[in-house]
Amino acid sequence: MDDGYVWGAIGALTLATAFARCALWLVGHRVSIPPRVQDMLRYAPACALAAIIAPDVMLDARGGIVLDPANPKLLAAGAAVAYYLWRRNMLQTIIIGMLVFTVLRVSHVFGNLG
Amino acid sequence: MRDTRPGAEADSVVEAHDPAAWREGLLLGLPTLFGLGAWGMVVGVAMVKGGLTVLQATSMTLIVFSGSAQLAALPLLAAGAPVWVVFATALVVNLRFVIFAALLAPHFAHLRPFQRFYLGYISGDLSIALFLQRYPRPAREPGKLSFLKGLLYPNWGAWQVGSLAGIFLGSAVPTDWQLGFAGTLAILCILVPLVVNSAALCGVLVAAAVSVLAHGLPYKLGLLVAVVIGMATAIAVEEAQSRRRGRHG
Repeated sequence: MDDGYVWGAIGALTLATAFARCALWLVGHRVSIPPRVQDMLRYAPACALAAIIAPDVMLDARGGIVLDPANPKLLAAGAAVAYYLWRRNMLQTIIIGMLVFTVLRVSHVFGNLG
Repeated sequence: MRDTRPGAEADSVVEAHDPAAWREGLLLGLPTLFGLGAWGMVVGVAMVKGGLTVLQATSMTLIVFSGSAQLAALPLLAAGAPVWVVFATALVVNLRFVIFAALLAPHFAHLRPFQRFYLGYISGDLSIALFLQRYPRPAREPGKLSFLKGLLYPNWGAWQVGSLAGIFLGSAVPTDWQLGFAGTLAILCILVPLVVNSAALCGVLVAAAVSVLAHGLPYKLGLLVAVVIGMATAIAVEEAQSRRRGRHG
């Protein structure tokens, strides 16, 4: 990756984060956000996070959509959501999800060979 | 509540370092530090596996200090998306902090601007939730600032230690292991609590579907398109629900 491009991106990330976190701190006194805007501020990050991970989970290396049990990431993500809803523990969820993913991935590799 | 006089003398009493309050904040936040360190480690691994050098990843974690924005940026960087798309994506991912800042900033409106800036910059989701449970009202109270620092400083430290460990671990582990997927799993854990109602769930599902279908759009714009359509869906669902409640109620 081009070095200058990455540093530019790091600068952009810093500016965006600083703006979101600090702008209202610098305004200082009480700012009341209308409920409607609050909803938008709450829904937007959830949608963004979903849009970030969905292609990683549902697309294969060539950009094809894979929504069947042969996709180890899809099953692992499903298992992770179920586990997180049950225990609400991020660390354990990541470990369980990685285990499911790795076991499925390795078994698929051997399945294809045999 | 104690009546504090305005003026320099009262200021120094209210803002004086209060070791007991600092420790109280530290102890309250302590159980969250391990999970946070692990989340930092996952982001550290994902950054190195995403193609950043150790220097770039280390600088990113120290300067940006926002796991979700950093993870969001990785696929954009890998695809060579324009810097303004990286900026817009990070802004959207961090919008939840605007709500947190609106709740927390009135507590410390009297501090110097620079101090307010860095307190805002290092305040993470969990610390803010814990702080607001302890101090729901924005009135000035002795020990409040020390309590917040007792939450924020260890929080920052745990994240950075985990993240640096992840960066060095990530460069030692073979790419075949696909440890980068841990970043996706971590985002799932942040995403689930944000799905606060059925409107949010509809928005999230629509955003996920659009991002997959619009994956081929130039400049990685599929992501921002997905966010806009997902958010519009969530708001439309919410409006439909409140109209129906209005008719029946």
